Amino acid sequence: MSQSAIAAVTHHEVVMEASPYAMDKKKLGMWVFIVSDACSFAAFLFAYGYMRVGAPVWGTPFGFSSILNGVVMTAVLLSSSLTMLAATHASQTGEKASAGKWLGITMLLGTIFAALHLREWFKLIAEGWRLFYNPAGGAAQFGAAFFSVTGLHLTHVVTGVIVLAFIARGYRQGRYDETHVETAGLYWHFVDLVWMFVFPLMYLMNAH
Amino acid sequence: MSSNRELTMSSYVGIGIGLMVIVLIEVILTYQHLPTRTLLFSVLSLACLEAFVAIMYLMHVKYERPLLFWTIFPATLFVFVFLCYIWPDAFRMFSMRLLQ
Repeated sequence: MSQSAIAAVTHHEVVMEASPYAMDKKKLGMWVFIVSDACSFAAFLFAYGYMRVGAPVWGTPFGFSSILNGVVMTAVLLSSSLTMLAATHASQTGEKASAGKWLGITMLLGTIFAALHLREWFKLIAEGWRLFYNPAGGAAQFGAAFFSVTGLHLTHVVTGVIVLAFIARGYRQGRYDETHVETAGLYWHFVDLVWMFVFPLMYLMNAH
Repeated sequence: MSSNRELTMSSYVGIGIGLMVIVLIEVILTYQHLPTRTLLFSVLSLACLEAFVAIMYLMHVKYERPLLFWTIFPATLFVFVFLCYIWPDAFRMFSMRLLQ
C-alpha cells in the first residue's frame, strides 16, 4: 500500500480505485440509463414495424403540411442540442450567466418542440384518429403506434425541460456544478438522437 | 474526462447544419415515390448515419476513453439484433392475413 493510501486509511477516508472510464459517476450512470432507454424505444419501434407488416392496409395520414411541421420540429430540436452544447461549454469555463442563458434557450426550444408536437396530435385527433380507430378505414393500429411512440418521446422532451429547469436553478444557486449540466446535456442529446429515428419512421414512412 | 476542447462551437454548428441536410435528403427521398422497402432502407441508413454523428460528436463519445464505446455499443447492438427475432413472425402474419 502506498504512503498516501496508508495516510488516507489512517484518517478514515475511503480509498477507491480510479474509474476505468475516467468520467464522472453521474455521467456513467446517465450512459447506463441511455442504453436502457434506447432499448425501450427500439422495442416500441420494432413493435410498430411488426404491426405495420402484419396489417393488410396501413394508414398514411401525413400530408405535406405535417411533414413540414416535422421538419421544423427537427430543426428546433437540433438547435436545442447546439444551445445545450453552448451551455455545457459555458459551465465548463465557469461562465455562470452564459450557461444559465443557454440553458434557458434550450428549455424554450424544448417547449416549442412540445407545442408543435401537440399541435400535430390535436390535428390528428380532430381528423378522428384515435388509439384504436382509423377514420381512413385502414389498420386501426396506426393510432396506437403513432401516439405511443411519439407520446413516449414527448414525455422525454417534457421531462428534459423540467430537469433542465432544476439544473439551471441549482447551478445558479451553486448547489450543482458543471458535471450536472454536462450530464443533463447528455440526456438532452439522447432525446434529439431518438427523434432522428422517430421522424423518418413515424412521419416520413406514413406520408401520402 | 470529456471536453469541448477538440471542437469549437462553430464546428458544432457545422455538424448541426450537416444533420439538418440529412433530414432534408430524407424528406426529398420520401417524395420520390420509391418502393416502401427501398424508402425504409434509405431513411434508416441515413438515420443511423445521423445517430452515429450525434453519438460521436454531440455526445462526445469520440473524446471519451474507447472503453466506454466498447462496453456500451456492442451490448446495445446485441439487444437490437435480438429484437430482430420477432421479424420472421411478422412475415408469418403477412402470409396468414386475409386478402380481399
